[in-house]
Amino acid sequence: MRAPNEIDFWRGFALVTIFINHIPGVYFERFTFRNVSLSDSAELFVFLAGWAMRKLMDGPARALPAKWLVLRLETRAFQVYVAQMVVTALAIALLAAAALCLDAPFLLDWHNASAVFNDPIKAHIGLVLLTHQLGYFNILPLYVVLLFIAPAVALLHRHAPALLLLASPAIYAAALVFGVNLPTWPVEGTWFLNPLAWQLIYVLGFLLAGEDGIGGFARRRHAILRWLALPVVALGVAVGMTDFSPDPVYLPEPKLFFTFDKTFLSPARLIHSLALTAIFAGTFKIIGRWLPRPSGYLCLLGRNSLNVFCALSLLSLGGQIVRYIYGGNVASDAFIVILGILLMGFIAWAAEWRERLRAALANKPLSP
Amino acid sequence: MARKIAGGFGKQAALALALACLLMPASRAEDLGAPPVAPPMSPPCDVPAADIAAPATLPIVTQALQNGEKVRILAIGSSSTLGYGASSKDMSYPAQLETILEHALKGVDVVILNRGVSGEVAEDTAERIRSEVALRNPDLVLWQLGTNDALARVPPQEFEDTVRSTIRWLKENRIDVVLVGVQYTVRLARDANYAAIRDSLQKIAAEENILYVRRYDAMRFIAQTRANLQLMAGDNFHLNDLGYQCMAEHVAHAMIVSLFVKRVRPARN
Repeated sequence: MRAPNEIDFWRGFALVTIFINHIPGVYFERFTFRNVSLSDSAELFVFLAGWAMRKLMDGPARALPAKWLVLRLETRAFQVYVAQMVVTALAIALLAAAALCLDAPFLLDWHNASAVFNDPIKAHIGLVLLTHQLGYFNILPLYVVLLFIAPAVALLHRHAPALLLLASPAIYAAALVFGVNLPTWPVEGTWFLNPLAWQLIYVLGFLLAGEDGIGGFARRRHAILRWLALPVVALGVAVGMTDFSPDPVYLPEPKLFFTFDKTFLSPARLIHSLALTAIFAGTFKIIGRWLPRPSGYLCLLGRNSLNVFCALSLLSLGGQIVRYIYGGNVASDAFIVILGILLMGFIAWAAEWRERLRAALANKPLSP
Repeated sequence: MARKIAGGFGKQAALALALACLLMPASRAEDLGAPPVAPPMSPPCDVPAADIAAPATLPIVTQALQNGEKVRILAIGSSSTLGYGASSKDMSYPAQLETILEHALKGVDVVILNRGVSGEVAEDTAERIRSEVALRNPDLVLWQLGTNDALARVPPQEFEDTVRSTIRWLKENRIDVVLVGVQYTVRLARDANYAAIRDSLQKIAAEENILYVRRYDAMRFIAQTRANLQLMAGDNFHLNDLGYQCMAEHVAHAMIVSLFVKRVRPARN
């Protein structure tokens, strides 16, 4: 078990925020940072995924030969893929059970699930191909794609770092210029989080986590970057509070560069997310000192992010069903949010407890 | 089982359609060569115009018609846009609407892109609207909404803020917008949230001065006057082919009335 650290803390923070943001209409949504911000936890989560991969590359996997590194990263991609499949199956069953028990056929529609019940032959193929995603269950598919291409990022970084610096922004720019996105099927449309655009923030997380290159530069110039980030974040507060978005008629082409688009991670959102990182990087030391228990709890969640992510996806869906039945008010919403966060903590604790138990048993000779 | 039920209703719908076709040619014939008027509704779908929508201008579509350009429409929303319960994609309301509009506008090319995602709340659709609009640059956005926000218990004020800011953004973007409201079902007729969301839609449409198709009122009129007519699929919540036909006819009626509300006619006619 790792000691509490900055990346786990912010990951835990992102997980709690995603949980609350995924219950539409919940009272406490107003306290999440997306209300005073251009970007939200999705950006933070993906940035940290890239960051964590760099820590792996520079740490335990430093001396790993290329083929083993590829195997290590691809098996992780597969693990996340399996998690996505299981959690989607559970979500579908949860909706189906709720629809039956409550005699509420409209629950079968929620989150783009209807194709599973209405067009099951195609939808089941779509589910395993990740071309059919449930709404709010679209971050893990993006993560699977990013982990799938992670070996390319890692090997480019090892052997041709300049090419990585060039290729990632080039793919991003091309996606925005030509509006390229992965298709969905059988429901006609495109991915809600476009991997061709979102890979950039993943790669930036990867690069900034390094002690050398742009990561080293950012560390040396952190004070200046913080000052530069301040107006960006302040602007984000103004935009978030006023709901401002640029008047598209007067925007030059390609417009995706100038709108605040989430699907294509428009530059405004990307820059804002990086500015938030610049401001808050390093604050964990202070937060951890002043609020040791809450920050320890967030670290616990962050250390077990895949398990907790799966749990929160289902918990937020459960929360929505509860709100459908009982309606939404501050008290019941508080109950949903507190119970959800406690259950996320329990899932994380149980995963670590199992690890500890296994380690303890491994050291003991087997009794007859 | 679902398949069986769908098949059963498919037959009913086919019968109703056949009936509609038998009765239709007479009213269609009157139209030929006449200036564009609201397309007649088929007997099963016919409701008083006052129960569908109050006309509002659609300046961008009008402009496109005057220039003889094709009309590009983005149909976005939830399962009613996607066509859940319809026997095929061609029976979804946007697909049927395309045919009706092309017929009524006499040769104008109407292209409707369907971007329905079932069970989606307005806040998420709003995000997709911005993305799709930046990419496709449509003349008109047909936004079907409300049911899922009511069921997810999204506070009406929050819903209103989301919808209003998106409408304003679309207006700034010089795109017409038509709101297509919630449907009528006995099950939700007395649900307080459902009524509140309906009220919000009415309020937004009036204050923003945009076209709002009151599906609820239109469907209730049909339910009350033609009780034996089945507009619903087997789950008694989603529409069947005939239900989607009526929906398309009502939206088309509201649009055409609005398009020619000031006697503006396409240049080519």
